[in-house]
Amino acid sequence: MNLFKAELHRIARRRLSLIFGICAVAGLLALTVIMWFNSSTGPSEADLAFAQSQADEVNARYEACADDEQFFEGHPEYGWVADDEWFKDMPHEQACSEVFWADARAEDFIYVYTFKFHEEGVVLLIGVGIVTGLLAMLLAASTIGAEWSSGGIANLLVWHPNRMRVWSAKLGAVVTVCALAVVAMLALAFGLLYLTAAVRGDTGTLDAPWWGDTSERLTRTGVLALGMTVLGSALAMLGRHTAIAGGVIVGYLTVGEMLVTFVRLGIDMRFPELLSVYTWIGAWIEGRVTLEHWNGLSELPETMVLTATDAGLLLGGIVLLFTALGTWSFAKRDIT
Amino acid sequence: MRQPHNALDGLDMEVAAGQVHGFLGPNGSGKTTTLRALLGLIATDGGAMRIFGEEVPKRLPHVTARVGAVVESPQFFKHFSGRLTLQLLAESVGVPPKRVDEVLEQVGLRDQAKQSVKGYSLGMRQRLAVGQALLKQPELLILDEPANGLDPAGIHHMRSLLQWLAHEQGVTVVVSSHLLSEVQLLCDSMTIVSRGRRIVDGRVADIIAGHSGSQLSVRFDDAGRIRDAVEALQAAGGGVTVTAEKERLLVTGAHEASWVTKTLADAGIYLSELTTETKNLESVFLELTGTTPQAGQPVQVGQTAAPVAAAEAALETATGGDRR
Repeated sequence: MNLFKAELHRIARRRLSLIFGICAVAGLLALTVIMWFNSSTGPSEADLAFAQSQADEVNARYEACADDEQFFEGHPEYGWVADDEWFKDMPHEQACSEVFWADARAEDFIYVYTFKFHEEGVVLLIGVGIVTGLLAMLLAASTIGAEWSSGGIANLLVWHPNRMRVWSAKLGAVVTVCALAVVAMLALAFGLLYLTAAVRGDTGTLDAPWWGDTSERLTRTGVLALGMTVLGSALAMLGRHTAIAGGVIVGYLTVGEMLVTFVRLGIDMRFPELLSVYTWIGAWIEGRVTLEHWNGLSELPETMVLTATDAGLLLGGIVLLFTALGTWSFAKRDIT
Repeated sequence: MRQPHNALDGLDMEVAAGQVHGFLGPNGSGKTTTLRALLGLIATDGGAMRIFGEEVPKRLPHVTARVGAVVESPQFFKHFSGRLTLQLLAESVGVPPKRVDEVLEQVGLRDQAKQSVKGYSLGMRQRLAVGQALLKQPELLILDEPANGLDPAGIHHMRSLLQWLAHEQGVTVVVSSHLLSEVQLLCDSMTIVSRGRRIVDGRVADIIAGHSGSQLSVRFDDAGRIRDAVEALQAAGGGVTVTAEKERLLVTGAHEASWVTKTLADAGIYLSELTTETKNLESVFLELTGTTPQAGQPVQVGQTAAPVAAAEAALETATGGDRR
């Protein structure tokens, strides 16, 4: 317990933890500010007046055209209509309505976005959870990797020779930090986004089914973040360096998906989306994803359903595999 | 594929309690490997090791609380202060926080305790590492090259601290080092290893005395009498070896210096200076480990002058992993 608490304090006192914490909160505030200024409950008087003037201007041009049968003849800007085959046998009024907008209204010129919390809030919260998980994964990899590169592991083992106890304490500490960070970030994001919707948008009805569905998806997002953290730790333990773990993670997120795309193009596969980890992550969070395959002959596509259980088994298996390898490596390899 | 070699082979070493014991050897002779194996950081293919009578690394958890060690020059987390570095370690085993201040005082870092390790010199980091090992008030202190990076004042302070721990507090201190003069000043006993094997062990003074021999340097007012002196000493017998140099004679094998004086005086030759030359630890070490530089043979830094045949034999019988 002492070792676990000391590891928690070590993580809390690291400069990277502070930097990541500031970045996460700053990012969330930036998201809130964007939503705040983009969202609106309705047009203002000025917006309505401006939109009306725009509609009036368009209608005036149409009427000017409709009132003058010779409008297009020799017109410096629209003279081409008179020569165009398309308009040759068309009634004049119809030609005018084709060229100009007939019966324009003020609402056609009002662009208002209203942030609807009950519809979009959960998507943003899932995004916040995943980004927090990514940061926790990098922090975990760095925490373990820095111990290796600083020689701290050797010194720690001189104090605590039971390697499994050391590994458990470290893993427990990074997972705890990740869990706390995800809960704190989701709570903060929920509060800020709900406030934004209440003041500048529409909160909608947050009824029991909404809470049920949202809590399920957010719980799975939290579990995903914890899995990512464990994976980051295991990779750092396996590679014995932050850069190796970070390289694998960033490498997969960039080049890895590109390679998957090339493989998809090269092989004949009914559901190539299965090769992408993002498909499985989507199935895990959403609870259910339907993949479609159109063979060109039938009218209906062939489908494949991925459930959260399928995705959980695969993603959990990956995390478990790397954790087992990291554990074996730490238990058996010499500390040089 | 890399050839495996035996980093340690037949090393037999025993350290008595309450002493400062030096662990000497050329670079790559297996000092650090021995300490790491003792502390369970690397696995061995065979052999037995015991600390306080407990077999290690199997029973290491039972003796860890009594052992303080620094087996690597740690870099630490550079943004942490010296105090925080020690506090975290102390917290992990339940050592009370006031012990941190005591240790900082002991290793001379009290005034720099709040400074981040980033600003520490190599010597200060070394002292901080020793401070880590002292935190749990160990009965056995194992230090790998503790004088590395220390300035003369730091070395003096470290020497005083370790001797105080051993002689006043009863702590057994094992120090690996390549600084021979330091070992000579610091240690009560020592073990010299080369190529993973023990060459010699015992009290430092006894080892030096045992390999010193008696060599006398004799000078004359008139250097022209050197040839006469050689003839006189050789004619007198006594089993001595006499070597003439440009300005002096070197006599080895004489039981008493007075025998040389009398023999020369009987021959009508009067010396102006007679001194006994005692070997120091360096010359004993070079002789024992076979690292004495030979005229005309370039020697790399840290190279053990192993005979070719012996090196080949070691490779042929190798069974262990590739360790240094």
